[in-house]
Amino acid sequence: MASATDSRYGQKESSDQNFDYMFKILIIGNSSVGKTSFLFRYADDSFTPAFVSTVGIDFKVKTIYRNDKRIKLQIWDTAGQERYRTITTAYYRGAMGFILMYDITNEESFNAVQDWSTQIKTYSWDNAQVLLVGNKCDMEDERVVSSERGRQLADHLGFEFFEASAKDNINVKQTFERLVDVICEKMSESLDTADPAVTGAKQGPQLSDQQVPPHQDCAC
Amino acid sequence: MDEEYDVIVLGTGLTECILSGIMSVNGKKVLHMDRNPYYGGESSSITPLEELYKRFQLLEGPPESMGRGRDWNVDLIPKFLMANGQLVKMLLYTEVTRYLDFKVVEGSFVYKGGKIYKVPSTETEALASNLMGMFEKRRFRKFLVFVANFDENDPKTFEGVDPQTTSMRDVYRKFDLGQDVIDFTGHALALYRTDDYLDQPCLETINRIKLYSESLARYGKSPYLYPLYGLGELPQGFARLSAIYGGTYMLNKPVDDIIMENGKVVGVKSEGEVARCKQLICDPSYIPDRVRKAGQVIRIICILSHPIKNTNDANSCQIIIPQNQVNRKSDIYVCMISYAHNVAAQGKYIAIASTTVETTDPEKEVEPALELLEPIDQKFVAISDLYEPIDDGCESQVFCSCSYDATTHFETTCNDIKDIYKRMAGMAFDFENMKRKQNDVFGEAEQ
Repeated sequence: MASATDSRYGQKESSDQNFDYMFKILIIGNSSVGKTSFLFRYADDSFTPAFVSTVGIDFKVKTIYRNDKRIKLQIWDTAGQERYRTITTAYYRGAMGFILMYDITNEESFNAVQDWSTQIKTYSWDNAQVLLVGNKCDMEDERVVSSERGRQLADHLGFEFFEASAKDNINVKQTFERLVDVICEKMSESLDTADPAVTGAKQGPQLSDQQVPPHQDCAC
Repeated sequence: MDEEYDVIVLGTGLTECILSGIMSVNGKKVLHMDRNPYYGGESSSITPLEELYKRFQLLEGPPESMGRGRDWNVDLIPKFLMANGQLVKMLLYTEVTRYLDFKVVEGSFVYKGGKIYKVPSTETEALASNLMGMFEKRRFRKFLVFVANFDENDPKTFEGVDPQTTSMRDVYRKFDLGQDVIDFTGHALALYRTDDYLDQPCLETINRIKLYSESLARYGKSPYLYPLYGLGELPQGFARLSAIYGGTYMLNKPVDDIIMENGKVVGVKSEGEVARCKQLICDPSYIPDRVRKAGQVIRIICILSHPIKNTNDANSCQIIIPQNQVNRKSDIYVCMISYAHNVAAQGKYIAIASTTVETTDPEKEVEPALELLEPIDQKFVAISDLYEPIDDGCESQVFCSCSYDATTHFETTCNDIKDIYKRMAGMAFDFENMKRKQNDVFGEAEQ
């Protein structure tokens, strides 16, 4: 679970309390469906066409405004651990929302959606929200999964559905914003039982390497 | 997997995952495999509860009163983190803290004459404790002040004690401490499992007491920390670190053969494929013919519906039963955690009693601990052999970790990690080696 106050962003972080909520969001799905590209398009508005397997990304941070609230999104990458289905269960902890992604030009990635959905239901908390996204909708010529099949599966699983393209920047922002909206709706429904994760509050103590001055007990 | 790697790691226990993380961060190409379909091996937290029952051949499964199975994450090996200890340092240097949340363990207790007492470790607590008489308290307080001020680089703090030659027995004598005080100092503060330390040079013991006090000073209630969702989160956190730096992970992967050429490892065979490597790290279960047995530990996992008596209803605690109190050679430990740590269903507690096996009836050996826990809803008894490698790996380049011992913290595990690193890299371990080498958090952090 992420926190607002730990030292991961270096110096700046200690003073950076400039948000009302923090949401941990995960992008999940088979290898090379475009998860990392999707993340880069949204967070940086950039796209690299060459296929590079994900190495070196922990998560990306982006703050957005929703209903006058500053919401800090922490969007986590899979670190390539989806390739052999070895994503750690710890990765799912505290996630508020999921973007479950397949590639419309890759049947296998679509067939795996059910499996990923089961993983999410098994390892994440009950209120986590999921959006199904068919990526690479710019590659119409190579399409093998019709929009209709995507929509049907999403209905069956109870998720909202988007087709998107990280390359042509179609529906990327909309996907994230819709996910944030559904999380917010769910939150206001269950505000009384608010999970501390929602507000970005770290539950336990902060670990630190600073020496604590020894006890200065006085016997007198 | 049909490739060439710098390092292949077999088993995803904590030791293996930390080493995997260090190797990947340092640019090594790492393949990390486990025969099990889950992370952690012996250091995993079993979930759902049904799995734990299966593992212990309790075919009837958990009764309804245990609540929802997936609310449980039950450790097989009970341990806590010392707040000022080496594992916390490793978590901070690697920033694996990003993936974890901790809680402070609420109390640390010691057993004396059939009852349990809070472990006093500061001067104030020593004076308030009813574990000692008035005069004993004063002497113990003097001893604590001496330890707190002791600095191995400053002879002015030695007060006539030579850290390298004076035995701990003589230090106790110098402060005129009685047997009961010696018992809890050696076992509940210095965390020794036996009395062998008494005739060793005192420096190690003094440093251990300092570690305890400094850990306690961090968060107040006890010197121990515990991660939410169980200890199994720890290896997973380090596995993610390794993956971010390019490590490849494969679970559910049987290891058919470790291939040696001229006495040196060259690869691992799995499901007909061979992955080549220069070095191999593994836990003892992957090389049964290259390890020796170094004792046995009994661990009894107990599910309770109540906090332990006389612990002020703590939702987590440690109880140490010093060997002298129950006529044994090694201490008995109880580690207790609960639903407050997301490891048990609402209202449930998990206490694990453990000790080094000394007789042919190990269950009976743990009885003094179980008596403190009654009534017990369900017991799971595990008796495990401890293994250590026969060879140091310098020739074979096969580096095997030691089994997790009976200690209730991770200091010995960290020593094993540092030692393996030293043998693999040919140079002393430095925590600086663990630091992430590049930025891996993007977005607003860059601005």
